[in-house]
Amino acid sequence: MGRLSNEVDKVDRQERVLQAVLDLLAEHGISGVSMRAVAKRAGVELEKTVEDTTREEWNHSFAVNVTGTFLTCKHALPLLRAAARGGVSASVVNFGSYDGFIADPGLAAYCATKGAVHALTRALACDHGPKGIRVNAVCPGYVDTPMLQSFFAGAGSGGRGGTIDDMQDAVREVHPLKRYGTPDDVANLVHWLASDEARYASGQLWVLDGGLTAQVQQMRV
Amino acid sequence: MTGRSTVVTGGSRGIGRAVVERLRAGGDAVTTCGRGARPADLPDDVQWVTADVADPVAARRVVAFANESSGPVTVLVNNAGVCVERTVLDSTDDDWDLVVGVNCRGVFSMSRAVLPEMDRLGGVIVNIGSISGSVADPSMAIYNASKAFVHGLTRSIAVDHGPQVRCNTVCPGWIETEMADDGFALAQDPAAARADAVARHPAQRLGTPTDIAAMVAWLASDEATFVTGQAFTVDGGLTAASPLRPGSF
Repeated sequence: MGRLSNEVDKVDRQERVLQAVLDLLAEHGISGVSMRAVAKRAGVELEKTVEDTTREEWNHSFAVNVTGTFLTCKHALPLLRAAARGGVSASVVNFGSYDGFIADPGLAAYCATKGAVHALTRALACDHGPKGIRVNAVCPGYVDTPMLQSFFAGAGSGGRGGTIDDMQDAVREVHPLKRYGTPDDVANLVHWLASDEARYASGQLWVLDGGLTAQVQQMRV
Repeated sequence: MTGRSTVVTGGSRGIGRAVVERLRAGGDAVTTCGRGARPADLPDDVQWVTADVADPVAARRVVAFANESSGPVTVLVNNAGVCVERTVLDSTDDDWDLVVGVNCRGVFSMSRAVLPEMDRLGGVIVNIGSISGSVADPSMAIYNASKAFVHGLTRSIAVDHGPQVRCNTVCPGWIETEMADDGFALAQDPAAARADAVARHPAQRLGTPTDIAAMVAWLASDEATFVTGQAFTVDGGLTAASPLRPGSF
């Protein structure tokens, strides 16, 4: 019973933390942000090169992907610290991307924002680890989301007249696991990172891409 | 003339030959080696030792020859390498002995042979690693692993033998060599495979041995006296891009 009670307290406290952070985000004019547990999953993907990106588009990408992460963490930290003092496992899971390591064509601002999230993740882990707060980032590759479907359909994909189904088949074939990821695959990693099973994991960037970036580009032979 | 006594392993052709010619042009007294006889087109003032660096005795013999004839070796370029195109499941013990012998033991033995004099006089070691040491080329399992070994050994030499010795790795991508030709030859349509490979490079070409030699020459120069323990990729941008390029479908 004691353990159950503790779990209920944890969830209750976590919900209050999240609500407080969401309120603060709204105060700062950040909307359209969805949050799951302690994870911050909010992002926009702009399919343009640097030359074609306007300053407004650049600023919008950074506002959502980087400033959103910064503000969420900034205002969650006092509450996470208090939770850690109370013996609750406190951690942050940011959303980076494999695009923070390597570039997809025509996604310049997105790649840059994800690189910034990676660096911010390490900085947070370094600064707040001593108070018991773990900070990690998940870095998904191709995951079946509306963002991916938009990428397939968009000019940035550079498709040559094939159908989206053709494109999807080709994308699956390049992955060592012969499929791309599902939102559940990502949620599983976030769940683990936020759990006490991951109590020594901090400051790391967790690539989840079905083996895609373990390989050199697959030349057509 | 720099007058440096320089050893480049595997200088008969490809990247090794380009490194030999580049360092020779800069005034180094170059000794190179290979498993076969002296190549007919090797410049007369480059010294040749027939030796397999996988054999530690032969490795010591190469360094002793250079020490004796040109003075203590202060620049070593570990270039010699071999590749077997097989998965783990298909690789034999002989494949392992061949690839690990040359690519790992060779780099180790040559480095160990030059380090006593380099610790005393100072020196530079430049290893030829590969992008394959960081990301996998398919069906090149032992080769990929052997290059990761080179990257790791580079850091150890830099840490253990600095400040007298600097040690770095150059990681070539696809370079126009016989090894690359062998890779394209496996394709159903080698010409189409080459065109596809070129298209995947932001530089829109494959590398040349002289591209790699230029990086080696810089790392071995006094322009790079604060550079040690690192791996530098020279691949025309290949690995800066995602392995998945929908635009190429």
